[in-house]
Amino acid sequence: MKKTIPLIMVIVGGIIFVLYAFSPHKLLQDDFYNKFYLPWAYASAPWAALLGVISLCMMHSSKIKRRAPKWQYSYFFFGGFIITSLAGFIGGTQKGSMLMWIFENMQMPMSSTMFSLLAFYMASAAYKAFRARSAEATVLLIAAIVVMLAQVPLGVKIYKNLPIISQWILDVPNLASKRGIAIGVGLGGVATSLKILLGIERSYLGGTD
Amino acid sequence: MNFFERMQNLDRRWIYIVVALAIIIPLMIPYNSDNVTSPPTENLYQMIDSFAGREDRAVLLSFLHDASTMPELYPMEIAIIRHCFERNIKVFALTFLTSGAPIIDYAFNSVKEEYPDVKSGVDYCNFGFKPQPMALVLGMGDNIANAVNTDAEGRKLESLPIMKGITNYNEMNLVVEFSGSTAGTYWIYYARPKFGVNVALGVTAVMAADEYPYLQSGQLIGMLTGLKGAAEYEKLVDVFAAYRDPKVDYRVKMDAEGNKIIPGRPFGKEVLNDESTKKLINITTQTKAEFTPADYAAFVAKYPEQKAIFDSLTEQEKDKIVIDVSKITPEQRNQMGEYAYRELNKLTYNIDYKFKVARIGMNAQSVAHIMIIVFILLGNIGYFIQRAKTVEK
Repeated sequence: MKKTIPLIMVIVGGIIFVLYAFSPHKLLQDDFYNKFYLPWAYASAPWAALLGVISLCMMHSSKIKRRAPKWQYSYFFFGGFIITSLAGFIGGTQKGSMLMWIFENMQMPMSSTMFSLLAFYMASAAYKAFRARSAEATVLLIAAIVVMLAQVPLGVKIYKNLPIISQWILDVPNLASKRGIAIGVGLGGVATSLKILLGIERSYLGGTD
Repeated sequence: MNFFERMQNLDRRWIYIVVALAIIIPLMIPYNSDNVTSPPTENLYQMIDSFAGREDRAVLLSFLHDASTMPELYPMEIAIIRHCFERNIKVFALTFLTSGAPIIDYAFNSVKEEYPDVKSGVDYCNFGFKPQPMALVLGMGDNIANAVNTDAEGRKLESLPIMKGITNYNEMNLVVEFSGSTAGTYWIYYARPKFGVNVALGVTAVMAADEYPYLQSGQLIGMLTGLKGAAEYEKLVDVFAAYRDPKVDYRVKMDAEGNKIIPGRPFGKEVLNDESTKKLINITTQTKAEFTPADYAAFVAKYPEQKAIFDSLTEQEKDKIVIDVSKITPEQRNQMGEYAYRELNKLTYNIDYKFKVARIGMNAQSVAHIMIIVFILLGNIGYFIQRAKTVEK
């Protein structure tokens, strides 16, 4: 029963959505989607968010209790979570509110800094590892240098046709391989979806069954 | 240990210092580097521009990212919002991430400071955070007001003036998704085949390669790639949308044939290649409005009451009449009136800092790219010299 009911829900739900995608019938387009599915989807969303918050709190509190590695940082999670939530609930989310102040002066600079560190790692990795050890590596190296140069104004100053060459590299050899991967992923997705719809693939239920 | 061996074993902290300097110095000493615009950016610009002044067209901006990707995506967002405000285009925004909601507020509020006439619910509408992306992406194809219900301020969508003439994707016929992931495919997979909506993306540079197949197949009508895409869009807005002709009075909303006068000028590739375009995209401070005698006469003819003030501010430079707006006193500004002052200020093409931030960033990116290439070359030279020595031994 524990597995049969979710399995039936997934199969029936999946088939309805397949029909919705391919049939223009009012029963599916309007009665099912607009009148039934949309309100239920919106009603379920806050519960999903609540589940996320509870799960996060449980994870961090258990980390503190167990004195797991870097457990001290979990206090920062609780501090940040409580202060930001209170700021939003009490002061609102408009410009000039405390929430926006926290966002502009703390979250924005800190998150952006983390993302920007990528440039440093890339430079270091490029210097240490990007070597023309073989013919394939040499082709990759030359292509990378051309594309990198074409991305910046200085590159265009060096050679004005560089963006055209770079675009060709991106559009032809790059996309040829990219499409091969994408088609493979697409076919894999279709096969997995069919297996789920037919009840063959059940790993999402959390067991082997 | 010789020089090349030392270079091969260089501590990474030295590399970090060099990269940091390569980024910090160009940011502190900005220079006017010109970004060549690419077709995906131009296509998006032209698509948005084709909606100018139309009641039955609108652009939807989807902010599917958090603060971490703001350095690349935020300049794109404000450049597009500015474009829409300049050209009287209805613009909507939403996010499927809770952390995206403050970014929408921040973007609209930042751009709005320069456009005092623009109003929420009339010229733009913020839907805010909406859960369930699939439900919304498909639901809006039928009826936007039904699927979204209320905007971020809790107002019923049906009652907002901006919704006049807008029902579904037939009118809100362009979605631009800003994302640091492949999440934009929601629109490509579901909204485009079913409802025919035009989709464009603004993505971080590292994600761009994943989206190229959709661009080449025509499923995306345009794409802004990283900071470069943002810089290109900023440039296009400056050259076309924010451009002011001294001879045209933009206060008059209709021309002689009854057509709406929309500020700016139509897109033209030849304009981008024109020498005079360079002054429009300068990132350094510009305070002087330059006129030919004919242009000056046409400009002051629009403001006959302020003619004396304008005349008192003019200076002759070669064959040009020049007004330096930095020399206008508060009293003169009051006498001139805010509208005339703003129009004059626009003719200086002194673009506000926040609207050229991607181009300033591109200076730093340019130097950083060159630096990384130099590192790669140095690394390879050292590698081959060492290898040759090993073979000799």
